[in-house]
Amino acid sequence: MLTPELPATPAPEPAPEPSSRGRAEAFKRRTSWRRKPELGLGGGMAGWALLGRLGGRLWAAAPGSPLRAAAAGALGVRGQLGLIVRHIDSATWWHEHLSEENVEFLRKSAAEECRAQTASKLCPLKDEPWPVNEWKPDSIRVGVIAVKLGMMPIWTKSGKKHAVTLLKVQDCHVLRYISKEESGKKTSQLIVGGKNASPFSKSEAAMEIFKEAGVPRKQKISVFNVTDDALVKPGTPLYAAHFRPGQFVDVTARTIGKGFQGVMKRWGFKGQPASHGQTKTHRRPGAISTNKAAKVYRGKKMPGKMGNIYRTSLGLKVWRINTKHDIIYVNGSVPGHTNCLVKVRDSKLPTCKDHNKNPPFPTFFADGDEQLPEDLYDEEVFQFKDPSVTYA
Amino acid sequence: MAAACERLFRRSALVRVAWRGRCFSSSGYRTDSDGKPAKFQPPPKPVIVDKQKLQEERRFLSPEFIPPRGRKDPFKYYMERKDMIQRRKVFNIPEFYVGSILAVTTADPYANNKTNRFVGICIQRGGKGLGATFVLRNVIEGQGVEIRYELYNPRIQSIEVLKLEKRLDDNLMYLRDALPEYSTFDMNMKPVSRLAHEEIPVNKLQVRMKPKPWSKRWERPQFNIKGIKFELPEEKMKEAQKWSKPWLEFDMLREYDTSKIEEKIWKEVSEELKK
Repeated sequence: MLTPELPATPAPEPAPEPSSRGRAEAFKRRTSWRRKPELGLGGGMAGWALLGRLGGRLWAAAPGSPLRAAAAGALGVRGQLGLIVRHIDSATWWHEHLSEENVEFLRKSAAEECRAQTASKLCPLKDEPWPVNEWKPDSIRVGVIAVKLGMMPIWTKSGKKHAVTLLKVQDCHVLRYISKEESGKKTSQLIVGGKNASPFSKSEAAMEIFKEAGVPRKQKISVFNVTDDALVKPGTPLYAAHFRPGQFVDVTARTIGKGFQGVMKRWGFKGQPASHGQTKTHRRPGAISTNKAAKVYRGKKMPGKMGNIYRTSLGLKVWRINTKHDIIYVNGSVPGHTNCLVKVRDSKLPTCKDHNKNPPFPTFFADGDEQLPEDLYDEEVFQFKDPSVTYA
Repeated sequence: MAAACERLFRRSALVRVAWRGRCFSSSGYRTDSDGKPAKFQPPPKPVIVDKQKLQEERRFLSPEFIPPRGRKDPFKYYMERKDMIQRRKVFNIPEFYVGSILAVTTADPYANNKTNRFVGICIQRGGKGLGATFVLRNVIEGQGVEIRYELYNPRIQSIEVLKLEKRLDDNLMYLRDALPEYSTFDMNMKPVSRLAHEEIPVNKLQVRMKPKPWSKRWERPQFNIKGIKFELPEEKMKEAQKWSKPWLEFDMLREYDTSKIEEKIWKEVSEELKK
């Protein structure tokens, strides 16, 4: 990060350059104050930084001073370089207050803590679990948060091809239980978080929920409405085996943002003819109301921001589950871009209820009795270890 | 009955050879490292090794194994690769290139004996991962026929390479606009034999085209086609060069060096296939 120390040019520049160079020097002086590795987290640090900044201001603000002119002669080249290496990172609190070793130490310790927290939650059944109930047709289970990896084809035993989306359940934990009375809703709620993230960029208040559950910070948090018999203790990890092949799920995610779009793309309007006397009217909506109504109705389809809203794909079949890598193979496409975090839960469609009977309840516990093979397939799916499909 | 017996015998012979090969490579016959002479074991039977085979084997990695460039998690391609390898363990997908002549048998519920065989020249290979495809072209009774097959589709019963060769281009879509004799192949063609260690021959055939208009302006530099004998007037060929973009080869952002990825994946795939 430091500007490289170039040998001072022996011949001083005749004319000191404009004030930008002066500012660059001042900046460099300031940064060189801060970069001393021995200045750690000390309380006196702020004072030093202030002094340095003051000095820098004076330096820049005195264009005619002989001191500056001499310095500009000697350090002209360095000043320019200083401008080039400036980086946005140098403006953060960390760079101002922590030395390189401190940063490294913090990073390492945070990673260790994260690993330890994850490991401590691996056996939820031995760790004073909440009562486990029987599944009933009207119970609603918790869902999981997964990362969308991408799509691939899958074939059935009848030789038909389907497209599936791969959803990876990554570091998914239950974070908090909110009872009916607390939330004021019709059902109680469970907050679930997915995919670990850096604990440093969040405020103390925002980190509290993770501290309570004793899990690392999550990138995405989501609320699931559950019935009282399907409660899961906060801190319990959730896996892909929470779902089973053959069942149907709903997937919710934020769609890809398209920006400000016209009515043809946004609402599928027909547009207007290309020729026959049209002037500047090819992709426009036409009239937006009538003379008699004399107003524009609320909800009129008009140009505007498209995408970047939450959407749910309902009733997607689960074709296959990989229990080792925690991957759900879900039929068809799913909203959101690749690598985005999606919310997966049992389908609420009444037509799918028959297929969603007797799931692992309230969730799949890795330390339970159930031993699962690496891959679980729907019975229709062609498995690649079988010979080719033939028709008799 | 006799045929079945013969097949059985052949299979057992094959198995024996494979077993012997493994014995040869294993180090189970050495004495222990702590000096004590191990229990006497008879020396392994001498194995006759084909010296030509020992020559450096050509490394061939099917192009669909190389992931495309993008922001997708490489782990996703790893998961796909596992399935591809699993399929290759049960089903032989041979090495072939654009320009090779293949015969593909597929299961077809509407065909007479429930299978369908098609012979043609491979004019394109497309797709990455499990969805990889190739296109076969042939002219049957004066009618050009192209079929796009999915490489990992379980409906494919067998892929036979009748003639393994390369052409001057990686994409032979221009055969659609060439004279039909260049894409006409006998449906009962016999496979052309060749030695395993040989270099893949490149067929330097230049095809003659039908008169214009073509489906694409193949003379333009963007296609960079070497396998066409252009019989266009000089000024037409010159005019086509107006669309050349000589600066593109210096665009470093377009570079995608796959050699390292290829090496890694080749190792992974070959190890898995040996298991």
